[in-house]
Amino acid sequence: MIELKNVTRRFGLTTLAIKGLDLTVQDREFLVLYGPAGAGKSTTLKMIAGIVRPTSGDILRDGVSLLGVPPERRDMAMCFENYALYSHLSVFENLAFPLRARGVADREIQAKVTKIAETLGIPHLLERRPGFLSGGQRQRVALGRAIIRPASTYLLDEPIGHLDAKLRHRMRAELKGMARDLASTIVLTTTSSREALALGDRIAVLDQGVLQQLGTPEEIYHRPVNEFVASFVGEPPMSFLDATAEREGGQTALRLRSGHRLPVGPGWAAPLRDPTCRLGVRAAELSIADTADDRHAVPVTVDQVELLGHVRVVRLSLGQELVAVVVPPERQLAPGQPLWLAIDPARLHVFQDGRAVSHPAMPTVH
Amino acid sequence: MLQRPVHPAFSTLRYALILLVVLFAAFPIFWMILTSFKPPGDIMVSPPRLFFTPTLDNYVHAIVDKDFLRYVTNTLIVSVISTLFVVVLGSLAAYSFARYNTGDGHILFFILSTKMFPAIAVVLPYFLIFRDIGRTGIGQFLQIGLDKPGALIISYTMFNLPFAIWLLVSFFQDIPRELEDSARLDGLSRLKVLRKVVLPLAAPGIAVTAIFTLIFCWNEFLFAYILTRKTWSTVTVGVESFFTLQGILWGPVAAAATLAVLPMLLFVLAMQRWMVRGLTFGAVRG
Repeated sequence: MIELKNVTRRFGLTTLAIKGLDLTVQDREFLVLYGPAGAGKSTTLKMIAGIVRPTSGDILRDGVSLLGVPPERRDMAMCFENYALYSHLSVFENLAFPLRARGVADREIQAKVTKIAETLGIPHLLERRPGFLSGGQRQRVALGRAIIRPASTYLLDEPIGHLDAKLRHRMRAELKGMARDLASTIVLTTTSSREALALGDRIAVLDQGVLQQLGTPEEIYHRPVNEFVASFVGEPPMSFLDATAEREGGQTALRLRSGHRLPVGPGWAAPLRDPTCRLGVRAAELSIADTADDRHAVPVTVDQVELLGHVRVVRLSLGQELVAVVVPPERQLAPGQPLWLAIDPARLHVFQDGRAVSHPAMPTVH
Repeated sequence: MLQRPVHPAFSTLRYALILLVVLFAAFPIFWMILTSFKPPGDIMVSPPRLFFTPTLDNYVHAIVDKDFLRYVTNTLIVSVISTLFVVVLGSLAAYSFARYNTGDGHILFFILSTKMFPAIAVVLPYFLIFRDIGRTGIGQFLQIGLDKPGALIISYTMFNLPFAIWLLVSFFQDIPRELEDSARLDGLSRLKVLRKVVLPLAAPGIAVTAIFTLIFCWNEFLFAYILTRKTWSTVTVGVESFFTLQGILWGPVAAAATLAVLPMLLFVLAMQRWMVRGLTFGAVRG
């Protein structure tokens, strides 16, 4: 178990890369650090690795501080975002480097390097120097060098970000399989929400050096604690609508900025400190119809249509605001076309001052 | 790189210019070597003679009468040891400046600033200092003193270090920090990282620095002239000793100069590939 306790890291006087981070990585857990560029993901990894010292705070492994332990004695392996390949050595020697450093026998090195090169699809590149490889090839060498030897913890800094889509898909599966086989702790950073959701046992969402939320992919996806997490997790991104809560008799309704009322049932107003709020809706949880009915009560017009292959992402204008919705690819839609939108109150995310507010219609997350 | 077709006239002009530059640079050396084989009667004549009966008398005079090979040996010892000092000290200093920004740039600037005054400004103080050190026991034991190799080695190391550090800093800066971090995580200690990762990557830079330093030391005249008398004089001073009150012995001068230039010439030719690589492939890729 690795614990980061109130860890802060400054660079120079002005840059605060990590602010008071508390994070626990369980044994044999696959933890994904997810966030935009500059969120402090790499810095967090490097602090765990021992390459970057925290300005304040402590990093513990099984209750013992790691701060005095140099990187070479932490039994961790790391894959660097900029690959950090040894340009004076061949791909073979790059992959063999961690093994040679540990005095592994030549025959075993040969076998292990051959095996890992096949997994990564680079057996034909073993004699080349890193300078003569493409970005994706270098990334695979870097990943291979990180996972070639057993380690207590693997730290992977965007290990598959520069691969093409097909290879990335395959490597994602490989990583997941590896996590199962190695029975080691893995901490991986990514800027792809798909990768984060697909890989992590838990996801830590970071923004501007602050931990926003830590939870299982389901929790992160279904119960984002704030607008940042809600907007950053999931594809296409969540749409947001301004609304005001109104009470009529025992019933509560949400009035959208476009003027439409959304009846939501009793018990809604209580958690809201003031009537104005923001509603978050996921594209996959909305439905559209050509004619109005009980559910499809909000009139919208088609703004833009994007084909993703298995789905179409449709951007709808609702008054001044835009809402994304996904429809089957066979559904033909043209910009300007009028439609009716259904918003299920049970699927709504409600935010006030950027923080999520729970409401009675929320389903429980499993 | 995009190659555009070149007009034949330009191509011809280009080669003509290259030829001119080569002639300009190489002719004095050619003439020196030619003169070293000429009998006295063929040297100072007008028009100059290209064809003559070659003789080895000049070499015999330089080597046997003037013991010129001793100067070559002296120079070799002093230059090689100075270069070793410069490369070892320079690499350590440059690594520290490049990786840890030691002294926030101030120390680096101070070191470079020692290059800003002419050597002649310090040669007399050096003379006095080495004279006094040479009279002490330690000075005698370490061969530091007037007409001793230690004095020259210290002077050459001092005077070549700033340039070497300046050159090496940029080479070390080109090595991405992550390479060292990665090697540490792979299980190497700090010192082993230096040996297995940093030094191999900086090797072309270190080689270039060593070559330049060796050339500078080999060709140095002022310090060698002031700080040595006879026993430990170097080739430049040796050649100068042929300029006697009785006159200049051009034939032996040319022979001695050829002997002085030859080792460096061969060395540079052998190292040419390294030098070009070191100077152009500064950036570490990958």
